[in-house]
Amino acid sequence: MTPIKHFFFKLLSWVLPDRLCVPLMRKQIEKLKGALEDVLATALLEILLDGMSIAFVLLWGFRRNLVGFSGKYLFRTANDGVARGAFFASRRMQVLRGEFTDYDVAVTFKDSAALLRFLFSHDQDILDSLLSNDVAVDGNVNYIYKFAFMARDLIGRLNLTDLIERVLARLRVA
Amino acid sequence: MTTSVSLKDLALSDQKRSPRVEELRKAYFDAVPEICCERPSLVTRYARKHGLFDKPTISVLDKARQYRYVLEHRQAMVAPDHGVGADMKPFPIKARSLFAGSTTSHFKGVPIFPELVGLALWPELLNIKDRASNPYFLADKDVQVLNKKVFPYWLKHSVLERCRARMDKDRVGQPVGHRDVPEMVLLEDLVFFITSKADCISHTIPDFSQVLKRGLREIIKDAQQRGGRAQKPEQREFYAAVVEAMEGIVKFSRNLAREARRLARQTSDATERAELRDMAEANEHVPEFAARTFREGLTTIWICWTAIHLENPDVGLSLGRLDQLLYKLYSEDIKNGKLTVDKAIELLCCLWLKIGDHVAAIPAAGEQLFGGTGSNQAITVGGVHPDGSDAVNDLTYLMIRATELMMLRDPNLNARFHPEVNSQAYLRRLCDVNLNTGATPALHNDRAVIEALRARGDSREHARDYGIIGCVEPGSNGRFYGACASIVLNLTSILDLTLYNGEHRHTGRGVLISERTGDAASFGSFEDFKKAFARQASWMVDRATTLNEALGLTHQEIYPTPILSSLFEGPMEKGKDLIFGGAKINSSGATIVGFADVVDSLAAIEQVVFKENAISLPDLLQALDLNFVGHEALLARLRNPDKTHKYGNEQRDADEIARWVATALDKLFFDKVNYRGGRYRVGYWTMTSHAGFGRLSRATPNGRRDGENFTSGMTPVSGMTPHLTPALNSVASVPPALLANGLAVNLKYTPDRDNRGKMLDNFVDSVNGYFDAAKNGTGGMEIQFNVTSHADFEKAVKDPQAHKELLVRVSGYTAYFKDLNPQMQQEIIDRTEYNVVTRQAVQFARAAAPTNFAKRSP
Repeated sequence: MTPIKHFFFKLLSWVLPDRLCVPLMRKQIEKLKGALEDVLATALLEILLDGMSIAFVLLWGFRRNLVGFSGKYLFRTANDGVARGAFFASRRMQVLRGEFTDYDVAVTFKDSAALLRFLFSHDQDILDSLLSNDVAVDGNVNYIYKFAFMARDLIGRLNLTDLIERVLARLRVA
Repeated sequence: MTTSVSLKDLALSDQKRSPRVEELRKAYFDAVPEICCERPSLVTRYARKHGLFDKPTISVLDKARQYRYVLEHRQAMVAPDHGVGADMKPFPIKARSLFAGSTTSHFKGVPIFPELVGLALWPELLNIKDRASNPYFLADKDVQVLNKKVFPYWLKHSVLERCRARMDKDRVGQPVGHRDVPEMVLLEDLVFFITSKADCISHTIPDFSQVLKRGLREIIKDAQQRGGRAQKPEQREFYAAVVEAMEGIVKFSRNLAREARRLARQTSDATERAELRDMAEANEHVPEFAARTFREGLTTIWICWTAIHLENPDVGLSLGRLDQLLYKLYSEDIKNGKLTVDKAIELLCCLWLKIGDHVAAIPAAGEQLFGGTGSNQAITVGGVHPDGSDAVNDLTYLMIRATELMMLRDPNLNARFHPEVNSQAYLRRLCDVNLNTGATPALHNDRAVIEALRARGDSREHARDYGIIGCVEPGSNGRFYGACASIVLNLTSILDLTLYNGEHRHTGRGVLISERTGDAASFGSFEDFKKAFARQASWMVDRATTLNEALGLTHQEIYPTPILSSLFEGPMEKGKDLIFGGAKINSSGATIVGFADVVDSLAAIEQVVFKENAISLPDLLQALDLNFVGHEALLARLRNPDKTHKYGNEQRDADEIARWVATALDKLFFDKVNYRGGRYRVGYWTMTSHAGFGRLSRATPNGRRDGENFTSGMTPVSGMTPHLTPALNSVASVPPALLANGLAVNLKYTPDRDNRGKMLDNFVDSVNGYFDAAKNGTGGMEIQFNVTSHADFEKAVKDPQAHKELLVRVSGYTAYFKDLNPQMQQEIIDRTEYNVVTRQAVQFARAAAPTNFAKRSP
């Protein structure tokens, strides 16, 4: 918190009763939640992309998806909280950090919460995100189809469906 | 020409499904569709081998050679010996069709077009067998074929992506997320419009008359001669392409004949051997040479039809006036004793099954949003000849009977009826079949349709020779390249942009989509509001047509259609492919979604806000934003047709608004000239898009709540029109000249099995009243029915497998009720249901707006 903000809040606490300060407090918590979602979404996206890049190294069958394929993806949030990229070339996948403009397709989530909803959706079906206007796609949509196939292929190979179901169930309980 | 009806019993009541047809029909309903890799593999292999992926443009000759290669290398499958059942396991098919060949390499196949939107299935390949809604079988080895040998090559070469690259090429320096042009963003926002050229152009009727009369060999000779005389290189190239494409079809048919002969040699059953030899003889002769018999005529059409489907996806491709094209062959065979009515019916039933031997590839996204869209291969029967005389003949009745016996989704039978020329007995028979099938055929009033086409410049003879395309779009048979579904425009999105000053609630308040046309508080009168609406409409029509034009130019660049062009009136004379304007009549079509909801909303705004000052426009918007929660009294008032004027009740204000909207849209579109030099035509048929767009759209001023379906076609809003006659008169009051791209009016009648005769009398009366020129100018243009009760639909929702043959009219075409997504099923259940005897709406509890869009098991 900046000194000015600190001073301003303290001033408010002197002149306003607590019940009037509660909404302000809630607003501050929302901001913190947003920041937390940014961190969480960044971490999860990175885990997903890193996991995929490792799988391309370790799994020969999965690596065959990259034969003759090159493509550059940008995943980001509209508030610039998250930006990660995936670059496929020469049968390798590289995870990129930060924004770049020479993508084949950019997927922009409305915010980190939207990205989290997508990552934790049952089958990472971008349709629901599109329908709820959570996401905007810029560029070649065929690349999205290719990426979605590879993501589902990986989930199937690693038998991750059960794991995802369990995580989803826990999240629902939480 | 004179009437050609000699049948004693127009209903052909003694005709039944033959054992062969019964067996094939059972297999048809038992089979799940199988994704077919044959076409995409061959197309891709040829493109790689001949460097088509490296070419900036693909010529008509390139395409023709590619299709010739595919036709020559397709598996010659005389009769599939197995289908795949709902358990995804093969089951034997114990009967053989009378026609060789199939659209795909499977009994019931799913063709894939990677050049168009086939790649949308990519994410699902691994589990498409298990998806809950309309699963497809796909063998594991075929997953790998598509994933590795087909789809990767098309990443940058589908029509949509080539178009995107073409439009985006000057926007490289834009900030991240803003490279796509606004028109492409609007398309992908899903709520404004769909431009279907990314998926197909199709939507037309080929000209089969020449191949029937002359055979492909004569067409090839004609093309060679014209090519020899042609001055321009592009014309010479076109004629060379015709030769290539037609030789491919000839070879395909010969391959089938050879296979039939091989099977005939193998079998020990004499009957079977004779059948196979008949089949081989037919395929050896046609379509290369002129058809000599009814059977050869049907074979000609079937073989050419499979070839056309190789090139053009099955979206609105239609067969036209088959009862006219084939009548001469039929009547001569009957006269000469070569054919019986029994055999002709069996042949027609076999052809109907063949026509329905495939389903369009729809990804899960499409299933969820626009799920259950069947293919819509329309056949047109009846009406008048080009000289105006009665065209109904014996074959018309045979085709109607075959449709009644088969009760299939495809083909989509459309019956023309001219009130002054065709007989009442014919109309009565059409209504009778609607009672028996519950959903078909759709009825078209010749007088109105011909006037609509004449108003758009078609000659009298051409207009009289119209056939129905896809759902309900009229177009002159074999000479009209209408691209009827070029633009599917969500009219309610224009209303939203007007209400919210250029913003749309789905894409988010604060995001300017179009242009500012006035804050809600700023409108002093309803006229001001209408002006703003007209400006928003103009803006949206500009955007949609701009994208459609860019897609059209992309088709010119990479997707000429030599097969269809060779079987069409115009291209041979001009030496020009259809995509470059070769057809005799060129146009593009727009169809409007949400018409009745917008008309009722405008009527409500005029009456409640501006005339009666019952609520201010900003307050109305607040109620909309809250989905009427806390504004229940307002909602009740807006939904009450006694208190708020509605289209469909012959209330002058609302009906005038309907005409104003239709006139404005017609003008906006007609002012545009397309890339082939034709004008746009406007229609009002919605397939299932009224459910999809409705799902994405917030509450509207007519009392429709968030996510509820819009109303289909040009039908008045469900539940708002308690009386049948005024409902039909309101619809018929919109002049046909404004509806040249067709309209769908969907009515639901309660079946009354105890009073069938009386019901049929009243059914016929209701159609006569709607088509009555004395009351309604030319009379209403089109009408289609569901004759299934609300209660029966609800039973089908609960037990889909027990009702897997339940056929329904959606908005234009027919579909199996079980294939529709839940929202679309609800829309059909909620439609106003009339007792046709009392002509009053039947009361039933309307379901709440669907809130759970989860996929449901089929």
